[in-house]
Amino acid sequence: MKGNTIKVVCAGLIALLLAISLMCACAPKPKGAVEPVVFGLPTSLGYWFGVGALNGATMAVEEINAAGGINVGGIKRPIKLESIDTRDSAPGVPTADSLLAIEKLILEKKPAALVVAPNRSEVMLAALDLNAKYKMPQIGTLAKTPAFQTKVTESYDKYKYCFRITTTSIYMGDYHVALCKYLGEKFGFNKVFPILQDVLWARGTADATTKGLEALGWKKVGEAVIPLGVTDFSMPLLKAKDAGAQVIPIFFDMPEVAQLIDQWATMQIPAMPVGVVGPLLDPAAWESYHGKVEGVILHICEAGVWPAPNLPKSKEFFNSYVKRWGKEPEGIAGQSPSYDAVYVMKDAIERAGTLDPDAIVSALEKTDMKGAIGRIRFGKDHQAPYGYDPKETALGLFVQWQKPGNKKVVFPLPIAEANIVLPAWVK
Amino acid sequence: MGAVLVYGLINSVILALTAIGFSLTFGISGVANLAHGGLYILAGYLTWQLFIHLGLPYALAAVLAVIICGVIGALIYRLVLLRVRGLMLSEVIATFGLGIAILEALRWAGLISYKYKLPAFIKGGLQIGGVAVDYQRFLAVIIGLLLVAGLWFFTHRTKIGLAFRGIAQNERTALAYGIESDQAAMLSVAFGSALAAVAAIIILPLGVTTVDIGYEILIIAFAVGIVGGLESTLGIVVAAFLLGYSQTFAAMYIGTHWIMIVNLIAIVLVLIIKPSGLFGKFKELEERV
Repeated sequence: MKGNTIKVVCAGLIALLLAISLMCACAPKPKGAVEPVVFGLPTSLGYWFGVGALNGATMAVEEINAAGGINVGGIKRPIKLESIDTRDSAPGVPTADSLLAIEKLILEKKPAALVVAPNRSEVMLAALDLNAKYKMPQIGTLAKTPAFQTKVTESYDKYKYCFRITTTSIYMGDYHVALCKYLGEKFGFNKVFPILQDVLWARGTADATTKGLEALGWKKVGEAVIPLGVTDFSMPLLKAKDAGAQVIPIFFDMPEVAQLIDQWATMQIPAMPVGVVGPLLDPAAWESYHGKVEGVILHICEAGVWPAPNLPKSKEFFNSYVKRWGKEPEGIAGQSPSYDAVYVMKDAIERAGTLDPDAIVSALEKTDMKGAIGRIRFGKDHQAPYGYDPKETALGLFVQWQKPGNKKVVFPLPIAEANIVLPAWVK
Repeated sequence: MGAVLVYGLINSVILALTAIGFSLTFGISGVANLAHGGLYILAGYLTWQLFIHLGLPYALAAVLAVIICGVIGALIYRLVLLRVRGLMLSEVIATFGLGIAILEALRWAGLISYKYKLPAFIKGGLQIGGVAVDYQRFLAVIIGLLLVAGLWFFTHRTKIGLAFRGIAQNERTALAYGIESDQAAMLSVAFGSALAAVAAIIILPLGVTTVDIGYEILIIAFAVGIVGGLESTLGIVVAAFLLGYSQTFAAMYIGTHWIMIVNLIAIVLVLIIKPSGLFGKFKELEERV
């Protein structure tokens, strides 16, 4: 009897829930309600860069909606941001799982466009086929492999829906080469030992950096490719020291890289660490690491993540981000291009006057606007170019931790706030 | 070479610290507590919250985190494992599920940011044989060795420890002597969880506390346990040194990308040659037959 009663109660509850759901689904929309334009955001939301990208995009959506929304063919409509966690950055997650998440987002939420895209280049590239299949315009803001441009160029008709405004491994390589060239001129350095994470973007960036430096007469005295999950960097650092390295370009997007800098400082490796070291942009890093971050030069992939002195929009974005979220952008990439991506897509849809994907693509190709990252335009490969003048291109920069515990822009030189300072044990 | 020997020792002791709680639980209760990684990160997160948010002294925050993790371990046994005791596959699935639930709950709670950095106990470093080592790693070695010695003393010289060993050797005979096996198993899971917390508090200050470390810890604990023999403290120590030095030598003389492969190769080789592990006793009879 007791068992039967429980079954009846459960069945009743389920029926009630179903009835309520049905009523909500069939409820008439209030008069005057306008269908929102859905922007999908599929990326690794369990990591700082995914959260940062979502924060940046959310800010843009809130601003646009507060100003009346997006004008689609004469009708103002609000933007609705629908995100999904692709988990592509989690170790061991199969690419197929991430692609399933993206397809679920496309089929269930029916977005007009996607922004941000997966973080891992391997997954981002695989997902381009979904954009082709569903004719889904997209602006990528995280994954940085140059293979994206190759795909768009070689199979334009298939991949024309995909655009990207984050920097690329090649541009990052160019920036590092320019910085190292300056270090060579100022301090006489000419030996490099890259330490990099075993992922596509890091290999690409290290490769571009090394080739560029070798063309300038530098010598690559070694290299350490670190698999995901490793937390002891003593041996690669000692190898760099034994090889006589003077500059250690670092390319890591996982938090373990903080240990690399910690050990570099403890072991007093006489080489200058420069590059992508996300955890060290945190304002508390100076205190957390007891000042061991002094002298480390961090690459900021896109202006706005850290304000560029010659780009007022980057400062506006940075200050708005701090006001909205109560903290500075974390890591070294993602927030400002994701913010800009929403505006770029909005601008393209408004110029197209329609949500038709091919019309949006034509409009995107004609984009020319100023954003937090600098000037945003697309080449034939659907990649926004990066350079040194934000009036012409998007902008990346370098900051250095200096006493008494501040980050200063040190490169490119025209916007430098301070000179580069060598740590005491680096001659 | 000096640096390889010094950092090999440090990495070996860190591996031993990571695996010792897992090994204790399995050795005594036969439960492979796959929530080990989840409890490890939970300890780090709790310590950070107690220290930074509540403003408690660091030492107190650490002790409280260890106690809380121990209690959680006991509750895991009492509420979950007791019901599936003896069903090995169910125990593995239950603890694995709990581990993932803890880790993903922490991710949902915001353990994504870089701000979760536990401070080192002492700033600065020292020179060991001309090799610069930070104090945190040096303390990790000291505490690790003391813990291993303490664990040996506990299991060989204390009443509870001897009861644990009795249960591990022959549960029925131990029951005949009045040793309550369920209580001993619950205490072993609690102790193992507390040891995971101790390891976390010593090791996590070396970097940033993130959820992914919890998954990696499980692989490390498994590798060390399987190579050394899951129920043998001596086996854990030997395996930790074997793997620690192998990884360090591989990183220095072959290539850094071999570091993670060393663990996996070791597991496969041991499973082929001696599945119970170097010092393991379980299944020895089946192996001989």
